[in-house]
Parts: sequence; C-alpha cells; structure tokens
Amino acid sequence: MFQLTRRAALALATSTLTAASIASPALAQRIAPPSTTPVTITYYNYNLASAGIGAEATKMLINEFMAAYPHIKVEGVPVASGQVLARVQADIVAGRVPDVAQIVFSDLDFVVRNLGVKPLNDIIPPEEWTAHTAGMVPAGLKLGAIGDKAYGLAYVFSTPVLFYNADLFKQAGLNPDQPPKTWADVKAAALQLKEKTAKSGIYPAVYSEFDWLLQGVFLSNGGRALSEDRTRVTFGEPAAVEAVAMLRDLLKSGAHANMREAEAPDAFMSGNLGMILTTSVYQRSFLKAAKDKFELRAAPMPSFGDKPSKPTNSGSALFILSRDPVKQRAAWELMKFMTSKRGYTVITSEIGYVPLRLDIVDDPQYLGEWTKQNPLIRPNLEQLSRLNQWVAFPGANYKQISRIEVGAVNEAVFGDGDIGKIMRDAQERAQALMPTVP
Amino acid sequence: MSHAAELPRIAGAANGLAALAAARTKWVVPALFLAPAFVTLGLWIYWPLVEAFRLSFYEWNLLPTSEPLFVGLENYRRLLALSELRTAAWNTVIYTVGLLPLTVALPLLIAILTRESVGKAGAVYRALIFVPMMIAPVVVAVVWRWLLNPDHGLVNKALGAIGLPAVRFLQEADTAIWAVIFITGWKLMGFSTLLFAAAMTNIDRHLIEAARIDGASEGQIARKIVIPLVTPTTIFLTVLTVLHGAQWSFVYINVLTQGGPRNATTNLYYLLWEYGFSTFAIGWSTAAGMLLFAVFSLFAVIGLKAMNRHDQRVA
Repeated sequence: MFQLTRRAALALATSTLTAASIASPALAQRIAPPSTTPVTITYYNYNLASAGIGAEATKMLINEFMAAYPHIKVEGVPVASGQVLARVQADIVAGRVPDVAQIVFSDLDFVVRNLGVKPLNDIIPPEEWTAHTAGMVPAGLKLGAIGDKAYGLAYVFSTPVLFYNADLFKQAGLNPDQPPKTWADVKAAALQLKEKTAKSGIYPAVYSEFDWLLQGVFLSNGGRALSEDRTRVTFGEPAAVEAVAMLRDLLKSGAHANMREAEAPDAFMSGNLGMILTTSVYQRSFLKAAKDKFELRAAPMPSFGDKPSKPTNSGSALFILSRDPVKQRAAWELMKFMTSKRGYTVITSEIGYVPLRLDIVDDPQYLGEWTKQNPLIRPNLEQLSRLNQWVAFPGANYKQISRIEVGAVNEAVFGDGDIGKIMRDAQERAQALMPTVP
Repeated sequence: MSHAAELPRIAGAANGLAALAAARTKWVVPALFLAPAFVTLGLWIYWPLVEAFRLSFYEWNLLPTSEPLFVGLENYRRLLALSELRTAAWNTVIYTVGLLPLTVALPLLIAILTRESVGKAGAVYRALIFVPMMIAPVVVAVVWRWLLNPDHGLVNKALGAIGLPAVRFLQEADTAIWAVIFITGWKLMGFSTLLFAAAMTNIDRHLIEAARIDGASEGQIARKIVIPLVTPTTIFLTVLTVLHGAQWSFVYINVLTQGGPRNATTNLYYLLWEYGFSTFAIGWSTAAGMLLFAVFSLFAVIGLKAMNRHDQRVA
C-alpha cells in the first residue's frame, strides 16, 4: 500500500517538478525581455548567513536593487557557504527551486552536471552579456566557466594573502618593508620572530574543508590537485608531495604554529601570531583588531624559490536556477546589479572581496577614496592578473575526494608518517571515486 | 426438500454467520486502536528503513534531474575502504567505554550518597545535578570551549593558579577525545542520576530498616541491598550508553573538534556523517546508516538478552 502511494506521490512530484523546472532541456531558451510585471525571486546567499558585515552589506545591496527595480521583489535566503549546495539540492527535491544561488566554485562541476544549469552565454542575449562583462577581469570571468561556457557569473572571491604584524617584525629585528617572498624566507622570518618575541611564527590556512588555498600551494610548486584533462587525481604526485613536505618541515622546525586552523585568525588578531596566509576576506576583521594595537600589513602569497607563486581564488559564482524566463530575467537583472561597479564597490569596501572590475579601484566615484585609505588591497589586486582557477573535482563524489585530500594533508603535515606514501594512498583512494565517464 | 426443514438450517447458518461475523469483527475494534501506532511505525520507521536499504545500492543525490545509478555494493566498499575507518571504530570503543563511568558508575554513587537527603536540600541537590541535562548541547559545547581555552579559559587559569602548565585540551590528540568524553558525560550525568534516584525510591524501606536493625552499616546497605535492587536500571543505562554513547558525543565533536586533531576525536557516526551527509549523496549516507544499523543491532540484541536474563533470574 505504501509502495503504491509513495510511487504515486513520487511520480506526481517528479512530473510537477519536471514540468516546472526542465522546460526544454534540448533547446536553451532565452530569458524574457525586460518588463515591469511584478515578480518575486529567491536569492540564496552565504554572505547573508555570515554574522556582521557580510550580511549587512549584502542586505544593503539587495535593498538598493529593489529600490531601482520596484517590480522585482528579492527574497534573500541565508545559507552557510559549506551548506549552500545541500540546501539547494534539498529545496529542489522539495519542489522549491531557488531562482538565483551563490554557489562555491568547488561545486561548479556538480552544479552543471546535476542541476541542469544552462550556460549564461546561451540564455542571455549576446549583446547584453558582452555589455555587462566588458570591463570585468577575464581571469575572473573564467572561474564560473567550464570550457568556453560560462555557467555561473563569478561573484565574490578572494586570493591568498600573507598578512603580517609589522610591530612583531620590528621587535624581532626583521624589516617590515621587506616581507618574506619565498617559503624559505617565511621559515627564517618565523623562526627569528619566534625566538626574539616568544610569539608564534606563521600559520598557513590550508587545512580546512575547502581546498582552494591548498591548491594554490600545490600549483606554486608546479603540482596540481587534478590533472588538466580532469580525469586524474594528482595530489599524490611528486610536486604536490614536495609542497606538503615543505609544510611538514615548517611545522617541525617550529616556524609553523601548531594550532587548529580555526584558532589561527584569533591568535593573529590578538597579536600572538606573526604571519598568517589566509583569504583576503579577513582583511576587514584584521584591520579592526589591529587598530591601535599593531600595524597590519599584507604581502602576496609566498613562492617556492624562484618559481613565481600561483595564487588561486576562493569564492563563488551566481547561478540562475529558475526555468521561468520571466524569473530568469529578474535573476539576470539582480546578478547584473550585484556585479556592477556599485555592487563591487560595496562588496570590496564593506566585505573585503576582490573587485572583479579593476576600473573602479582608482575611480573616485567608486573605490578611489577607499583604496587610498586601504592600501592593503594592493597585494590582492596585484595577484588578480595571475589568478589560477580553483579546480572543482568532478563527479558525484567530488566532496568526498576533497575531504580525502585535505585529510591526507593534515595527516602528512601534523603526523609522522611517510608523506609520499600518505599522499599517494590518498590519491589512489580518491581516484577510485572519480567518475568513469569524464 | 421442504421449506420447513430448511428453515432451521438457514437460521443455524445465519447464527453461524453472525458468530463468524462477530468473530471477524472482534478484531476490528482493537485493530482500529492499534492502527495509528502501526501506521506511524510503518510510515516513519520501517518504510524508511527498507527504502534506505534499497537506496544504499545506488549512487544518487535525490535530484529529479538525475537518474539513480545502480552501483551494487560499491557504496559499502567505499565506506569500508576509508583510511579513517579503523581509527573511527577504535575511537567509538573508547567513547563507549569512557562514558560508562560518567553515565553509570558516578551517577550510581551520587544517587546513593544523596539517597538520604530529603526535603529542600535533596531537591536542590538533584536540581543542580540535573541542570546540565536541560541546556542545549551546542550551548554546552560553546561554554566548554571557553572554559577549556588554553590562553584564557577558566580551567587553565585554575591549573595555572596551582602552578600547573596550561593544557591544550581540545587541540592535542591525546587529550581531545577525553575532553569530549567528559563533556558528553557531564551532560548526561544528571539524567542517569535521576533514573537511579527514581529506582531507589522504589526500594522497600522495610528492607533497609530491617538491615539497619540487624546492625548493617550504610556501606553494607548500599552494597548488599541498594545496588543489587537497582540492577535493572544499571543494565538499562549500560545498554543505553553502549548503543548511544558515540552518538551523544556527535554534537560536541562537530562543534569543538570536527573530528580532529588528525582524526583523534572522530567516531563512526561523525566519520560517516562527514562522508555521507554533507553532500546529499544518498547512496553513501544510506550505506553508512545500514552499517551502523547492523553493528548496533548486534549490540542491542546482546543488551536486550542481558536485560531479559536478569528479569528471568529475578522472576
């Protein structure tokens, strides 16, 4: 009896959903032309879920948008960054398809394969697409793309920045005007700082759930987490292993503070940690904490010897999930606004992400004044031109793969086992989870 | 055949039918009473169980836009191949065994010691012990994180005051699991104490008075009368701890350590949740659920056997 009811219910739900959400899978339909018909769209956003400034700034932008487009009502849905995808999935299953969602780059492959997202450059009229994306950093725009199809519009992102406490540098007899450039410099500076000031040296924040910064460290040493053709897991190959070995050496030498990643920003803000390599998004909190206590400075990501460092990006893109052309139009208007000059002015100055439009940086109408007062943004901007894509693992098990990767790095750096073996074993287990059809 | 002869037979048949109907309808009323319970159980427990078993052989994310892919035992194989599985299984044993003193032994002792305290003092005592039980687990976790903070936590301040070095309770692999066990147990102690106290109030006062008249000491009374008579509660709490101990610590692991440092505090529940539930991968999660179900069913059967054996012995 249950079986039947269940089947019926499932069939009904599926057909309703199919009808509602997959209008014509074969033919990418264009979004509706602009109109003034009232429409309400939902906007899943993780900055809304962050306490404090990220939420306030995003709410402000949404309100400005609604004032400019009175016929569009935006319902902001706050979801934590690590949970956006699960939430989007759950809501799609429940028949509440989100209209616009801010989704982390590591979910890109999954979103494209499973949520049936259509390329923006297919559904948006070409002239509108070209007009809007003109002036956006090309390397940034690529982040939401697979091949030449832009599925998501790159929205907020950060790069890895080496923040350092200039006062501790001075106390330790280091020159704060010459921050460490290579990992060897970092080690030497951290050890000197530790010895002279009895504070901790450096913390590279590469051990958490998202592997973007870790991928940057691999890349900087010529390694990769995933092969370029996206078929092989490669974090167990020599260049990546060597990068992990450098981290282990940093830790065992005492230069690398032995603490949990979540504690490192607190330690840095309280003046107990000399350097921290982390997302540029921390800039605002760090500035606030450093005010009247110590001088905060920032340097680009350290390199391995002479090889230039290859910073990756963290962050997210905006995706249109709605299948209704009218809502898609409203969604596109919202996306345009959020990634406009005004949008990035607020996002950069109020939250701390990198602006995807460099022409606003020195424009007094936008970020000009702010940039003058906040020179810390410069290393971040400088890295933008040589930004590398944070690669999303493919297939249904992509999250499990990155978990294995991050778990292995933790084990290899903080443990005593053979680094090469740990990383190779992990690579092999991860490879078994890769999709057989790429 | 005449009609007259047929009448009694029809009457008889009618009677028989009525009796049959009565017999048939006799179960209708009880069945109606039972139906809500059966339907609820079936709908919320057994159907999901069967469905979870079926889904554990598929790779799917529940999305109507993608097809469930039959993968056979692949999900199970993947889970069993996780390198952290052995550590997690061993930690699960540590959690279970480590919790027993806090959920059984200590509460039993507290209940015995406070057994005689009646009136206001007794009520205050019991309330104090029970309070942790009523605080939301996440709040408990956050409060303990502050208390155990190596730099400015009260616990380390106290240690410092008596000249001991600060301990990084949640950051070091050797102390983290014990810290989590302690917090889990601290939260549950009140509940266990309450159960023991309730069991003790059921003990016939005459037994204790008789023993006292015979000159038994308080220690002897506790050992020879109270502890044996609360054995059903002891077994019940032991079984409960074995079955749920590792699960109860989940919140604290999630908030305080996320399984780290280096998997030192992860357990089966946490590990399987990490791999299965964080992605909506229904195959991984249901296979994980089935594995846990199998292992803990075994423990449950053993526990229930122990309880039954005790009941039979007493009867």
